[in-house]
Amino acid sequence: MNKIDVTTRRKTAYAIAAVFAAGTFAAPSFAQEKTIRISGFGAKSGVVRSFGINSEAAMLAAADQINKSGGVKLADGSKAKIVVDYYDDRCTAEEGISVARRMAGTDSLIGVGPTCSNVAEPLFGILQKKAGDASDSGLQFPIFSDVAIKGGLAKISEWSFRNVPNEMTMYSSLFYWLKQQHPDLKTVYGGVEEDFAHSRATWYVVMKDRATANGYTVAGESKWLLNDTNFATQVREMKKANADIVAISAHPFTTCGVLKEMQRQGVKPKLLVGLTSTSSLETMQGCAKQAEGMMIPTSFAPVNKEGKAAADATAKFKGSADLHSMAAWENMFILKQVMESEKISGNPKDVQADRRKIRDGLAKLKSTAGLMGTTRRTEDREADKPYLFVHAKGGSWQVLHNPL
Amino acid sequence: MLDFLQALSDGVLFGSTYALIGIGFTLVFGVMHKLNLSYAAASIGGAYCGLLILKVVAAPPLVVFFCAFLAGGVIGYLVYLTCFHFIPISNPLATLMATVGMLLLIDEIIVHMTNGMPLNYPALFDDVMLRWGDYTLRGDLLMVFAVSVLCMAGLLALIYKTRLGLATRAVSQQTVAAQLCGIRVGQVNAMTFVITGLLGGIAGAMIGASVGTLSPLLTTPLTVKGLIVTVIGGLGSVPGAIIAGLLVGGFESVLQQFRGVTERDLYVMLLLFVFLVFRPDGIFGPKGGRD
Repeated sequence: MNKIDVTTRRKTAYAIAAVFAAGTFAAPSFAQEKTIRISGFGAKSGVVRSFGINSEAAMLAAADQINKSGGVKLADGSKAKIVVDYYDDRCTAEEGISVARRMAGTDSLIGVGPTCSNVAEPLFGILQKKAGDASDSGLQFPIFSDVAIKGGLAKISEWSFRNVPNEMTMYSSLFYWLKQQHPDLKTVYGGVEEDFAHSRATWYVVMKDRATANGYTVAGESKWLLNDTNFATQVREMKKANADIVAISAHPFTTCGVLKEMQRQGVKPKLLVGLTSTSSLETMQGCAKQAEGMMIPTSFAPVNKEGKAAADATAKFKGSADLHSMAAWENMFILKQVMESEKISGNPKDVQADRRKIRDGLAKLKSTAGLMGTTRRTEDREADKPYLFVHAKGGSWQVLHNPL
Repeated sequence: MLDFLQALSDGVLFGSTYALIGIGFTLVFGVMHKLNLSYAAASIGGAYCGLLILKVVAAPPLVVFFCAFLAGGVIGYLVYLTCFHFIPISNPLATLMATVGMLLLIDEIIVHMTNGMPLNYPALFDDVMLRWGDYTLRGDLLMVFAVSVLCMAGLLALIYKTRLGLATRAVSQQTVAAQLCGIRVGQVNAMTFVITGLLGGIAGAMIGASVGTLSPLLTTPLTVKGLIVTVIGGLGSVPGAIIAGLLVGGFESVLQQFRGVTERDLYVMLLLFVFLVFRPDGIFGPKGGRD
């Protein structure tokens, strides 16, 4: 081994040591970068898996955008990056409750979810009813729902908040508008997925009621189940009723089955109305041709710059933008605003205090900025979101009318 | 009366798909005396695989059905390997639970591949409707019925007219004696799974064609219907599965017409219990104590 070799080796060793030293000294400053955790949860398995996939993608995309613009400003003036994790509740109540308890056991500040109303309802039931009530040992963990749409659930607990559209308002407006546009149409026939909480509630409590209130006569209703495969009997009843409008309150699989059976039996109503959740890619994949013309009120369509940008950002995380996933997107920006205005500390030892601040901040909100415009927040922690009407046209959902 | 006839004919035609699923259950039970609970899920899996061809080329429905047929056979063989071949066959619960696991696995694979989204499935004659006044018959259901009848006829011919069928029946009746006669029981078992898999692929494709859409939602109700058909028809009886499939299809359709969708399944389950109590061997099932 000659002297040059030794020198070269020493230089190399010093260089490596310097790199390690730099890494070692730089590490604390990297480690000190604060993070705050927001947990999403929803269905990522089973037939409603697409809802969880889309919500997770929207949350990740929104967090990415917030982090790129600096993150969330904390009480001490420093900035924290948002970390998102997402749990699968499999659309079952027991799993949803288990997931909520797991999230509450981490440093997560809030949960965004769930997908299914049958999870949201019992889950909100295990939260503390009245915030600050020492006699109530319920879970003190804020939940901000993006998808579960069954009406009036947030009132169950003061720790539950929702950013989901108000179907009563939307269908009221839709039937009113239809009456103005088509005064000659008099009758409505309903089709309802009898064993699914959302579909059932939307037909019996919302669509039927709002159609009648706007002067339509309900000519009858056909019922089927979520797993049904044969709709011949139901569509024959529909055909006999010969109603002007057919309103289908069902999810994409059975909506497509019914629409295909309607085509076979030659049932051609003058207008077709669908369930909010059906204005999705699923319907287009299952029966775009048969759904042509179907009208649905929705709280999201990529009609403006913000909406298009959100949809594009979500697509980069392998999700699709619809009324549900874009609510998750909006929730992330609402939470950023609340965390900054309530001056959360972001310290691990203050997790529970920060959760309380976020809850109180959300409760204080009177309005929030959304992708379609301003959302009014109600006293019972629900949202009154802007909406528009879309219809299926040429294999995609296109804006039909903006009533606002 | 017209409503009754219409509901009955719609149900019987659709019941042919139940019969195909029931045959798969019963054939495996007849040969191996084991239940393959993953059969309906594997059939739907085969139908999904058939759709893959559409990603490559705009194939006509018949090609999609043929691909589903082939894929069904492959899946059937894989189910045999994973749930029966490498599992201690002497423990009846081990294979039963393995097939339950396989059912859930196939279901979840479909969900993950499609994100649970329903997919459009091609059909033949879906725009044809035969009319006699107010009475109608769906062209696509008639096609499904015809294909099912052909498959059943082919299967019966295979069982009763070929050496493989003879071997299958021999293994079904007395495994040890069949083995002593030089029949390779393992090979017969594997072939049974391939044949029922092929049949399942066609059943899945016919179900997709008659519904017009494929969804993972189909697997559980078809498993339940297939089991009901198998029990009513008689465990191990192919003609029994055929008759029971048509019977259950017609029965549930008529009950849906007159008692509504919420009561329909109640009566189908009652029918099952009536059979279990008064005719536990089913319509054509061999009498107990065969062995």
